[in-house]
Amino acid sequence: MQFHLNGEVRLVASALLGAAVLVSPVHAEDIVLKMWTLDNSGYKEFIAEAAEAFKATHPNVTIEHQIFPGDPYKTALKVALVGSDGPDVFFNWSGDRAKQLVKDKLALDITDFGNAPGGFAKVLPEGWLDAFRYDGRLYGVAADAVSKYVFYDKAYFAEHKFEIPKTLGELGNLCKAIRKIDPNTVPMPLGNKTRWKAIHWMTMLNERAMGVAGTAADYDLSRPADQLYTDPGYAKAFQALVDLQDAGCFEDAPNATEYAIADSMFATKASPMEYCGTWCTSGLDAAGFTDYGFFRLPLMDGGKGSFDANFLVPEGYQVSAKSAHPKEAVEWLSFLVSDEQGLKFAEKVQFLPSNAKLVDKAQGVPASFKDIARDVGTLKQGVNVLDALLESTVADAYMNATVEVLNRTLTPDQAVGKIREAALAAQAKK
Amino acid sequence: MAPSLTSTLGDTGKRPVLNAGNISASAMMAPALILVGVFILIPAAVAVIGSFFDFGMTSATWTFVGGANYRRAVTDPLFWLAISNNIFIVIGSVVSQVGGGAILAAILDRGIRRGSVVYRTIIFMPVVISSIAVAFVWMLILDPNVGPLNAIVKTLGLSPPRLGWLGDPAISLWMLLLIAAWQNVGFQMMLILAGLQAIPKEHYEAASLDGARGLKAFWYITLPGIRNVLVLATLITVIGGFKVFDLVFVTTGGGPANATQVLGTYTYTQAFSFGNMGYANAMAVVLLVTAALLGWLQVRLSRRA
Amino acid sequence: MTLRARSVAIGLHAFVSLWTLFVLVPVFVMVISAFKSQAELFTRPLALPRQFSFAAFERAWGIGISGFLVNSLLVTALSVLFIVIASSLAAYVLARSDKPVMRWVYVAIVAGFAVPLQSVMVPLYQLVSSAGLLNSRLAIALPYAAYGIPFTTMLFYTFFLEFPRELEEAARLDGCGRIEVFFRIVLPLSGPVIASAAIFQAVFNWNEFILALLMLTKTDVRTLPVGIYGLTGQYSADWPALMAGLAIATVPLIVIFLLAQRHFVRSLAGLGK
Repeated sequence: MQFHLNGEVRLVASALLGAAVLVSPVHAEDIVLKMWTLDNSGYKEFIAEAAEAFKATHPNVTIEHQIFPGDPYKTALKVALVGSDGPDVFFNWSGDRAKQLVKDKLALDITDFGNAPGGFAKVLPEGWLDAFRYDGRLYGVAADAVSKYVFYDKAYFAEHKFEIPKTLGELGNLCKAIRKIDPNTVPMPLGNKTRWKAIHWMTMLNERAMGVAGTAADYDLSRPADQLYTDPGYAKAFQALVDLQDAGCFEDAPNATEYAIADSMFATKASPMEYCGTWCTSGLDAAGFTDYGFFRLPLMDGGKGSFDANFLVPEGYQVSAKSAHPKEAVEWLSFLVSDEQGLKFAEKVQFLPSNAKLVDKAQGVPASFKDIARDVGTLKQGVNVLDALLESTVADAYMNATVEVLNRTLTPDQAVGKIREAALAAQAKK
Repeated sequence: MAPSLTSTLGDTGKRPVLNAGNISASAMMAPALILVGVFILIPAAVAVIGSFFDFGMTSATWTFVGGANYRRAVTDPLFWLAISNNIFIVIGSVVSQVGGGAILAAILDRGIRRGSVVYRTIIFMPVVISSIAVAFVWMLILDPNVGPLNAIVKTLGLSPPRLGWLGDPAISLWMLLLIAAWQNVGFQMMLILAGLQAIPKEHYEAASLDGARGLKAFWYITLPGIRNVLVLATLITVIGGFKVFDLVFVTTGGGPANATQVLGTYTYTQAFSFGNMGYANAMAVVLLVTAALLGWLQVRLSRRA
Repeated sequence: MTLRARSVAIGLHAFVSLWTLFVLVPVFVMVISAFKSQAELFTRPLALPRQFSFAAFERAWGIGISGFLVNSLLVTALSVLFIVIASSLAAYVLARSDKPVMRWVYVAIVAGFAVPLQSVMVPLYQLVSSAGLLNSRLAIALPYAAYGIPFTTMLFYTFFLEFPRELEEAARLDGCGRIEVFFRIVLPLSGPVIASAAIFQAVFNWNEFILALLMLTKTDVRTLPVGIYGLTGQYSADWPALMAGLAIATVPLIVIFLLAQRHFVRSLAGLGK
């Protein structure tokens, strides 16, 4: 699997430098590493068991693991890293958030430690290392990635003889057919109250309209100001969302619906489809729903997108620049992405691990998990999610514009205008 | 420490009892002053200073920019939207919470004998529930797909708002007002009720002999009797309306698309989502000044009483 | 009773009953939802649960609600104690002094009432963190106390203004110092205002969210609001368990309120003076 195809020159000199850092003898002093992560189900057990196993090589290192809910985590982490009692190692999404910490010198450059014998940089594929690579240096370890698929109720599709749609137009027709059967059935609930559900749609619709290459220079604000976000593809992507809404795909009030309620509508079979993340499988499992299939978001008629590209957001760990034990911290992170721990991670957390060498041996995971892992393995291009990738004010403008497009208070063209405005302001500040 | 006898004896009329023993006075003030100073005033001062700089939440360097953050606020339409939303909430809350509380208190004081304790107890109950809990429960109730409110409205043969109770920019602010009223009316009712019950019955009897009943008695006896209570209730509501944060943060997050953004949430967004700490501080200072003026007003009004 | 008076009475009853019902429904929804399954919650919003299942309560309890309860009790009790002592002392001095500087001191303290926590969050956090006071239930009671003092000082101040000075003067003539007068004469007679201050600050601090979220990051020191917020995960939420957690957090306060309600009402009379 690869994240980026661009043949940018890799700095391999760091590997040579890394050799200078020798494995030092085991210290007698007791070391406590504070680790902060989200509270995804299974995370706690995974870290606890891994910390025990880590003791075999590092008997003096104790891992103190704290978990947080998603939205407050973003604030709590930033505040804590500035303060004096922050974590040594912490979870982060790749993208603008990680970049900001690098820029503010709060995330440690771990290139040298990572290239030491047994270091993560020797284990993970280059594509995964790119997730936290800035100016050729490594500032984090990718642990896993989440992807998105259209999940569908197999029994419902079989009963009504529905086929998997090949294009967005066909998807719209499918929604119309479902509404014909029962106008009260929401074909694929959106649940955009917290704004990230629809931005996930826009992430892929932009790819389907313009391809990854067509958007990259807008996303990182490197395009000249007079051309920034001027590709008509952006409006086309919004129009595709509006067309799906007109086809009756979504619920009436997508911006007032909680994502959790949208998820539950599919899990309880009230809705036959949902555009959902790979993280949704464990929830469906818990709800006792197993007879579902999944497919990649269909292509756009006349779009420049590729079916080999799909939503793929790497997540991982970074080390605080203030950590008193950076070497042990990186050794711990390298341990977490080792072959066996990658397998354990897949089993416990049911996310796609960055080290997937043994993932086929995973026990006790739903069948769909392995199917998805296999499908992700065939992707040629990962598409990173807009709200993590874009500069924060542009991301905010994008989310609000999407809300307004769904509310019909902005046309696609007006929405792109607002985004361009935010992008220009952000570019000027750079 | 013994106070000087002469000074104590020298006190006449309204002169204060204490005017000696400053050390003891300072010692008595110390805990409150230290706590307020360290945890409120110093951080607030840092915020004021920070409002003249440009810096990120995680950045080490502060760049002095003078009044640029304030100029930016003046030209930022979202800042004015947030202010106008705050004012909407302040006015709406005074009407719904102080007004509603006064009506309920008046009814429970004089209009209803039986069951008034039960009513009073239930109406006050939401005050003790955390706004996090309140927000989550209301989010479920107002959900457009599975929420009980939509179900009820549909059963009545009406159609609920197409964009949802919290998703329609024209409705969501009213919903916040409703939730705030649900939670706070009981507090204002109790406050005013206590004020009403403190008015001696003899006043009404005397007035009744003079021919003042009903509205007249209300105007000449009840209102002056609860004047201070009403001032306090209004001030608590006004300041609360400017400070509102938890409820908006959890229920709408300032959305849809900034429609319910208030100073508290917009400051938070600028600080923690965009990392514009200087600008966030400037807006915090605007809030501080507003609040300080209201505090001053309270001093004036209570001194006169 | 005349017909008109009777219809007015019915109208008043109807108004109060309607508001009472309006207050009860959300509480009812919260409790009922906690007994439903996720599917039932979403497919039959108006119906009663088919069977009363305590599973959601068990899940909510499983994330350590009992520990959160103890933490909340500890933090609340401690902060209320600080607030009452500090505010009453300061308010007494302020109410008994007519020095111009005291008016400014009063304004400085009362202005604190209006400082929104979220606007001073970062400096406040840095202060607490550099003092090494993070993740301490004892330490978070200090800022909580600070934010309770302005309002409580206002309360005590208005109360002490009306406190009969003759009693104090008599004690002073008997040779009592200021602090003695305060603790022996004034405080024992301030029961109602202390009760009302304590009750309101207890409610505020029991429910405080943002500061607790930032300062109590370890699971074993978290208070209820933060703990409950943790019931909503990164990508999915367990609504029945969330509602069960809310119910567990809410019921103790409602019970305390019901038991102490007489004091509530009596003490409120002192508040508006």
